[in-house]
Amino acid sequence: MQASRARLFKEYKEVQREKSADPDIQLVCDDSNIFKWTALIKGPSETPFEGGVFQLAFSVPEQYPLQPPQVRFLTKIFHPNVHFKTGEICLDILKNAWSPAWTLQSVCRAIIALMAHPEPDSPLNCDSGNLLRSGDVRGYQSMARMYTRLAAMPKKG
Amino acid sequence: MSKRVLCKFFAHGACLKGEHCEYSHDWNDPPNLICTFYQKGVCAYGSRCRYDHVKVSRPQSSTASSSITEQRPPVSDDVVFGNTGITSNGVAAAPEFSPSRSPSLIPSTPGWNQEQQYHEFVGEDDVGQSRIISPAEIPICSFAAAGNCPRGETCPHIHGDLCRTCGKHCLHPFRPEERAEHIKSCENKQKHLEALKQSQEIECSVCLERVLSKPTAAERKFGLLSECDHPFCISCIRNWRSSNPTLGMDVNSTLRACPICRKLSYFVIPSVIWYSTQEEKMEIVDSYKAKLKSIDCKHFDFGDGNCPFGTSCFYKHAYRDGRLEEVVLRHLGAADGDTVIAKDIRLSDFLASMHLQ
Repeated sequence: MQASRARLFKEYKEVQREKSADPDIQLVCDDSNIFKWTALIKGPSETPFEGGVFQLAFSVPEQYPLQPPQVRFLTKIFHPNVHFKTGEICLDILKNAWSPAWTLQSVCRAIIALMAHPEPDSPLNCDSGNLLRSGDVRGYQSMARMYTRLAAMPKKG
Repeated sequence: MSKRVLCKFFAHGACLKGEHCEYSHDWNDPPNLICTFYQKGVCAYGSRCRYDHVKVSRPQSSTASSSITEQRPPVSDDVVFGNTGITSNGVAAAPEFSPSRSPSLIPSTPGWNQEQQYHEFVGEDDVGQSRIISPAEIPICSFAAAGNCPRGETCPHIHGDLCRTCGKHCLHPFRPEERAEHIKSCENKQKHLEALKQSQEIECSVCLERVLSKPTAAERKFGLLSECDHPFCISCIRNWRSSNPTLGMDVNSTLRACPICRKLSYFVIPSVIWYSTQEEKMEIVDSYKAKLKSIDCKHFDFGDGNCPFGTSCFYKHAYRDGRLEEVVLRHLGAADGDTVIAKDIRLSDFLASMHLQ
């Protein structure tokens, strides 16, 4: 309990210190609860998510960093490894390949990498996975871009 | 009166007043075990106080007062009270007492008189010259050896040669073994200090703190992994390796692996300093293993128990008579021509498997 708090506080200071270091990630800690974080990540370029800003919700367990944080998308996203309704993310480093050397910041980076490189063979969103698996890359990209426009971009006008 | 109470400084083996002490230096006399603060009302130590919390004015109420009265049966309670009355302010009263009682103990001039000392030294030196002893037997000036001799050039004693590592004049010019020994130990010390200095900056990747800046001494240790060179606190890496494998984590590929490079290490070596070369790491690992090898294995239990680690156990496997365990490995020829090393075969294993069928 005390160890996780100390570690999160360290990460908080680190985030404050190099706020401009990674322009694609903006990590914010909840004002009253250091175990709750939100992050805004930019969709990687040359993907259907380009131009979108996605919101992530972190829920950090008390055993952190011995156990991974729970992360989910708050913004709707059409991606084979993200549950379309709940925003749950299927990523090995958030489950069985977790290591205490990961930080919230590096988890965000891993999620950005996952957005650019989907794994259609372990899908949480079967429709998206099937499109990719059947080779319909154009169909997948247009669907993903549509949802990015609908949910992850500021409304115009 | 207080002569009948054992002096507590004497009891610890160091009473500066010697025979002038107003307390007894006779082991047969009882010590004063009554808390003086409690007598006055409040003792800050409360129940943790090492002295007895009893009111001595109440007759025969405690072990301390009764033990005193036992030894001196004719003395009544008010004497006991008076006794402790003196000891209760004995600490404060002592400086007033001692000059009058033992004037010889407080010299009017300080004993560490420069001039007097100088004459002594000169006198010694003269004797040394007249007897002609070998220069190796003359001790070197201890002031110079400690760093600085106030007399400098005029010092009658030999000033040792400068040790380059510690910067003190502590090398005896005529004792070669002593010199070599000092230089060696000094260099080792210096190396250790350097390593410690370099280790200060190193951070643990689990708690993200500097390992040697942790609050408790037990935490200020590195945990070295045998197969890679990533630094962690001993507590962090042990916690991670012993944490429960949840969410389908594989013990070998996740928990036993380095959190950074995922290289599998089977054991962690505690160390106060971080190494800079592989030789230093080997030295740390070897000394750790040697230390464990001198401790009896609790699983082996002098031959009564059974150690699950067998021949690869780091601890000592010795029987009660000091004989070391001899391991005879059973080599079995497998069908494909390879040889395998068989584990211990036990009757209980067969019985257990039969029971299942």
